[in-house]
Amino acid sequence: MIAKFSLTGKICFWILVLMYAAAIFANFICPYHYDDEDRDYSYCPPTAVEFKDHDRWVHPFVYGRRLTFNEVHRRVYVKDFTQKYELHLFKMGRLLSVDAPGRFYLWGADARGRDLFSRIWYGARISLSIGIFGVLISFILGLIIGGIAGYYGGWIDQVLMRICEMFMMIPGFYLMLALRAVVPENFNSLEVYASVVVILALIGWASLARIIRGMALSVRERDYVLAAKTFGVPDIVIIVKHVLPQTISYSLASLMLTVSSYILAEAGLSVVGLGIQDPIPSWGNLLSDAMQIVPVIFAPWILLPGLFIFIAVVCFNVVGDSIRDVLDPTFNESSTNL
Amino acid sequence: MNELLTIKDLTVAVGEKLLVNQASFEVSQGKIVAIAGGSGSGKTTIGLSILNLLPAALRIARGQIIFEGQDLLRLNSQELRERRGARIGMVFQEPLSAFDPLFTIGQQIDEVLAAHTSMTKQERYQQTLEVLSQVELPDPKRAFQSYPHQLSGGMRQRAMIAQAIACSPSLIIADEPTSNLDVTLQVKINAIFKVLKTKNISTLLITHDLGMINQLADEVVILRQGNVVEKGSASQVIATPIDPYTRQLVEAFQ
Repeated sequence: MIAKFSLTGKICFWILVLMYAAAIFANFICPYHYDDEDRDYSYCPPTAVEFKDHDRWVHPFVYGRRLTFNEVHRRVYVKDFTQKYELHLFKMGRLLSVDAPGRFYLWGADARGRDLFSRIWYGARISLSIGIFGVLISFILGLIIGGIAGYYGGWIDQVLMRICEMFMMIPGFYLMLALRAVVPENFNSLEVYASVVVILALIGWASLARIIRGMALSVRERDYVLAAKTFGVPDIVIIVKHVLPQTISYSLASLMLTVSSYILAEAGLSVVGLGIQDPIPSWGNLLSDAMQIVPVIFAPWILLPGLFIFIAVVCFNVVGDSIRDVLDPTFNESSTNL
Repeated sequence: MNELLTIKDLTVAVGEKLLVNQASFEVSQGKIVAIAGGSGSGKTTIGLSILNLLPAALRIARGQIIFEGQDLLRLNSQELRERRGARIGMVFQEPLSAFDPLFTIGQQIDEVLAAHTSMTKQERYQQTLEVLSQVELPDPKRAFQSYPHQLSGGMRQRAMIAQAIACSPSLIIADEPTSNLDVTLQVKINAIFKVLKTKNISTLLITHDLGMINQLADEVVILRQGNVVEKGSASQVIATPIDPYTRQLVEAFQ
């Protein structure tokens, strides 16, 4: 299937693969643990890797940093040429690292001197997985409820669809906030994660169920569904085996598009401080550090998590579009013929 | 007489319009009864009424459908489901659309057996091969593994019949089983129905093909716009039609 994607589709697919790989292997590629702080390095800018020492090529190293204050008493880090720390490859199970007391900030540090690079990839574990799990749940809910509503029709359809509309009627973000308010505040991080997954699933299943229901309504008129009924096959078997598989091409594409909206929703929840709690990073709560203008002006690298949210969302949307184009080749033709 | 299926005063309506008006006829054990008539005469509607699978807009206004001593119209959905496929098999006009394209023939026959019997997977496999060979498919194992589109039209129709007889029903409803097949295949499918008759399986044949009725049917019911205009033994009705509409049909056929 990937071979049939457009060029942008392929690029986005491989970017996603890379990002997921980075998230999975975060404890290998990141120089520090996500909560490894050093307050002497608050908002330390990205560390330059040096390859030359006195115009000679040497093993890559970084200089130490010395904290000074400028004329308006703002922190300025200057290179301390007396301290050199060699970059180690594969030391202590880390891809790149430097010996303490040296610090290696590839993408800068946050307010507490934690490495942003490490926090972004540990955070990717949360941000990139929460959408997937949320989508899986709403997908299962949507398939079952949409399938039942479309297959049976009549009052069952009416009741289920009115329930769906009740969920769709409330603006997603406010529904999310309301649901989050129900969750006890003394939850540990895993429980918060699970509750965010459930909250995401609850805001998204309704629209999927409605569309599956529409497709099931048309599939149930097919002869083989009638044939299965005349052979006394139980309804649930007919729904699962003969009706729902017909909706899979649409569902796959919409799955991808929903993942991206869930990534955004989790980020939104975390930015306002209701999602995953510090010190566990997620792209949303990393970005919440960038809510005030002063740190952004003096440490613009704290906006980086936003860039990754952007990339992930765009990639999921493009891949979703590509899947739809591959599974439904007539879609593009008909839209250009209009 | 040993009546397997008795239809009494069956009336099917959509809104105020009557599609079938007080139709009554019987199907005896081991007999082939044909319902004949032009398009829109209500043939298929009667067939689907027996299984209580009419489209939602249609309703059975009156009448009784007594099958094996019980009125099918009074059964609950579970009791009906237990009879569909197990006691009454259905053969459709277009097997290509009546089989799900995503599953093999074998899987779809297996599904019917799984729904109605407590056989193990192995027993169901044997039974599926058995019914596939009963309908004289040359290579039952290959047919078992084939998807509907991989078989020819004649083979698909045989597989359809195999699915209908998988649970050894006492009645088969065949809705124009040969109208999409060429003449030589029609002869072969007719032969299969004759074999089923020797096994005491009754067939309700829905068709507009008087040639097929002539060859196969014991009795015939002629429908015109939902009304039974004539019924009787097939040879007699075709030889000496009484009703003017039956006469038209017979003349058109000759």
